[in-house]
Amino acid sequence: MARLIRTEKEVEGRFTEQWIVVEEDALDQWPAGPLEVVGRPAARLTGPARARGEARYTADLQLPGMLHTAVLRSPHARARATRLDVDRAREAPGVRCVLGPGDFDALTDSPEYVGAAIVALAADTFETAARALDLVEVEWEVLEPLLDPDEAVRRESLVGDVRRYERGDVDRAFAEADVVVEGEYRTQSVLHNALETHQSVCEWEGDRVTVYTSTQWIWGVRDEVARRFDLPPDKVRVVCEFMGGGFGAKGSAGEYTFLAAELARRTGRPVRCALTRREENVNSGNRSPSIQRLRVGARSDGTLVALAGDYVCSLGWDGWLPPIAGTMQQLYACENVRTVEYGAKLNTPPMEAFRAPGYVEGTFGLERILDELAAKLDVDPLELRRRNHADADPQDGRPYSSKNLMECYRRAEPYWDQRHDVRARSDGPWRYGVGMASQLWYGAGGPPSYAWVRVGSGGRAVVVTAMQDIGTGTRTAMAQIAAEELGLPLDRVDVEVGDSARGPYAVVSGGSSTLPSMGPAVRAAAADAARQILEIAAQRYHLEERVLSLRGGKVVSADGGSWPLEEVTGLLEDAQILGKGARGPNPTGMRTLTYGVQVAEVAVDVETGEVRVERIAAIHDVGRVINPLGARSQIEGGIIQGLGHTLTETRLLDPTGGQVLTQTLDAYRLPTIADVPEIVADLVDMPDAHLTNLGSKGLGEPPIVPTAAAIANAIRDATGADVRSLPISREELLRALDQAREKERREAPAPA
Amino acid sequence: MKLRRPPSAEAAVAALGNGSVALAGGTEVVPLLRDGLLRAETLVDVSEVVPRGIEGTTIGAGTTLAELEVDPQIPDALRVACRLAASPQLRSMGTIGGNLLQATRCWYWRLAFPCYLHGGDRCHAREGEHREHAIFGNERCASAHPSDPAAALLALGARVRTDRRELAIEDLYRLPTDDDRDVVALEPDELILELEVPPAEASVYLKAMDRRRWAFPLVGVAAARGAGGTRIGLAGVAPIPWLLASPDGLDGATPLPGTEYKLRIARALVRRAFAALSG
Repeated sequence: MARLIRTEKEVEGRFTEQWIVVEEDALDQWPAGPLEVVGRPAARLTGPARARGEARYTADLQLPGMLHTAVLRSPHARARATRLDVDRAREAPGVRCVLGPGDFDALTDSPEYVGAAIVALAADTFETAARALDLVEVEWEVLEPLLDPDEAVRRESLVGDVRRYERGDVDRAFAEADVVVEGEYRTQSVLHNALETHQSVCEWEGDRVTVYTSTQWIWGVRDEVARRFDLPPDKVRVVCEFMGGGFGAKGSAGEYTFLAAELARRTGRPVRCALTRREENVNSGNRSPSIQRLRVGARSDGTLVALAGDYVCSLGWDGWLPPIAGTMQQLYACENVRTVEYGAKLNTPPMEAFRAPGYVEGTFGLERILDELAAKLDVDPLELRRRNHADADPQDGRPYSSKNLMECYRRAEPYWDQRHDVRARSDGPWRYGVGMASQLWYGAGGPPSYAWVRVGSGGRAVVVTAMQDIGTGTRTAMAQIAAEELGLPLDRVDVEVGDSARGPYAVVSGGSSTLPSMGPAVRAAAADAARQILEIAAQRYHLEERVLSLRGGKVVSADGGSWPLEEVTGLLEDAQILGKGARGPNPTGMRTLTYGVQVAEVAVDVETGEVRVERIAAIHDVGRVINPLGARSQIEGGIIQGLGHTLTETRLLDPTGGQVLTQTLDAYRLPTIADVPEIVADLVDMPDAHLTNLGSKGLGEPPIVPTAAAIANAIRDATGADVRSLPISREELLRALDQAREKERREAPAPA
Repeated sequence: MKLRRPPSAEAAVAALGNGSVALAGGTEVVPLLRDGLLRAETLVDVSEVVPRGIEGTTIGAGTTLAELEVDPQIPDALRVACRLAASPQLRSMGTIGGNLLQATRCWYWRLAFPCYLHGGDRCHAREGEHREHAIFGNERCASAHPSDPAAALLALGARVRTDRRELAIEDLYRLPTDDDRDVVALEPDELILELEVPPAEASVYLKAMDRRRWAFPLVGVAAARGAGGTRIGLAGVAPIPWLLASPDGLDGATPLPGTEYKLRIARALVRRAFAALSG
């Protein structure tokens, strides 16, 4: 029965209260461990199509008569256009429509960051459009930009409110602590750099618009476009069949979608607006840089008694404050915690969510300072973390729906115990070391999410839901769940996703929520279809439903009889059995989170500052694993992205003008395959007994969370240098080594 | 834009200049044209008319980096410098002649800031972001020359033969001046045809970069021991490939605040290069 509830909904640490309708989750969970299809490695269903170039991405779409958009963007971080003349551009051959600041509210003549859209025009080809931009005449009054986050906090130039959190008596706890460690940690801005740049193609038919877009949330785009153009939401159809990477930056419609829709509306032609690689690296969002001023108080045995953090996140001109203090508030059982978080509003391009926003940055700071604490106390860093393990949520005492972090630690031991041998490999300028860091993140998913399962006369099933597969292997996991429930081999299940007109509502693919939200709905839909099939079979073969089940593509009875599934469904000829399923509620009164630990092994050349990551062992607890092969891919992808964040990637701004200097992939350095270490992936794979009919949590984000801290802690183990700033470039490492030497000199006993 | 395919090197030279630009592998010219940093009315495809291949100590300017990196006749320093440059795809297209003429990766120059090298009155990098920039010859322009092979050829004492003259590789380059911002001393219609690389008793190339592969040098150090002693060539440390008279030459560096680390790396790599040569 449908139940209307008012509930707290979480996406990436942002909580909202909302009404939702949930269906009771009547299914018992499957037993733990590998089943017939679920829990067994499955190659991606769309792998061959992707490899052969048959998969249709938004970037591949060519509609008849389609126009292309070029956007004039602000070269200045803060300026006013004193003169803006688009007449020559409008008259250029092949140009079909020009929009300026007065024409459309996504355009401005008073840019507050580099890359803000000023003029957009549509032409027959992209080259024609780009050339026509040169004909736009602009004169700028350039104003002084605000670029310093600490200065922004002083001037109260903030996005949103200052967020303050406190529990216990922090000041007293620090006063009574045996040891106090403090430090300032910094993380840089990194860029998502999706292979497929942000883009949309819009086409109007009367009062309806179809939006083909590279998105993590087709329903969100639908609602945003409907609001912007004052349409009933069902007049907007959003399609995203294949998607070339999002990482958090494609959660909303974006100005490019609105520009394409408006230009299409005015010209009566389909219009593409696709960011170039340079626009992608300036204007599609970024992980906000952070300054973290942290303090930790502990007893001499390593028990944490007080944690305090002042966090300043440079959000740019717009955005939202990521939950950067979340790790400090949640990861360890510490009674006294105080955090203050500021979102500095600067004249820089706005941030967007980036794979575990806030937690990647906050975990670097917290797990680094705990490593420094462990060194100061001479306590084993792994032991220190065990000693402070939280058995219930330290914020409100709620029990966890499941938590196997201690099991993760246990499985990390073989890698951790090698650190003495690893260190002994040090030779000449090359020093070896091992470091570790813990991971905590969300990943419960939640309602509302719906799916249908259609079983046709040929005995094949189709999962239908208007979700999107953002490249994580979602289709495959959904097919596995439906196959398991229907007793079908995997190759008899198809999945239709990516079209708001062709299926029920589905969640955003963000916040590690896709699988834990959609998986239970798909299983419920498959179970509904299975029930109908068994009802039909019972009547056809004059048996009781309770003696029938679906196995191996057959209807099987307890007395040994069996009938091919297609014999039953074939009775219906072209008609089909339709199962419907909904995601049930999350467990009430409980906290559902994901956990893990990573152990990194590094080699450091102390003369040239080179860091080579040799191995990362990643042990994560995300409940039941649906597809071990897909899960492994997620872990590898997260660690490789984390490796770039740790060592080589950084968005550089000109310190006075605020221009983005790293716009191209030669200047912005993603890791290459030669940089990738051995990655050991291990999943605890124990279903969360309280969470849905699957017991599965999300895995999209957890693997990137602890990587930077684990590597930096390994560098300390290898060299004694405390790296407190990302990325760990050669100059950063050499600076940290100098500081370590200086400290050693200061602390050495004076010569007699 | 027109594309011409002249039948001979002489015809190619005659077609160059006056808005015509030579095109070989295209790995540098095409991006520069696309980004509006190089203007050309005509592209002159020289890939069929410039010598290609290795004969003893002579290297055709049209030889690709991929061909050089596997040829046993090529001294170690040059072979390794080619192998550590760019990516396999780029090395299969890019020629050694073109590699010597590639422009800096300075982000201000590449993003067309009105900087000194573009004819402006100041170097934006000196006051701005310059972690990848120069520690030598950086008073007016702090850009760094990106060629790995050029440093190796400097150390090896290579000579360059063009359609009209022969010159030492160090004379191919010049620091930009107020009168002339070019870093290459060739005429607009001059074409590099061959390189003459004297044999070395031993040579080595060591490279520090941000990634294990496919990155320009933060610091590249080439050293070669030959009849006339040991020569050192540096990549990524000056607006042009930098010849170092001796290891002590590093004392004359003028690093910027953000490039001091490069000097430390250079010292370490020069020391290692000498150890490798004597080992």
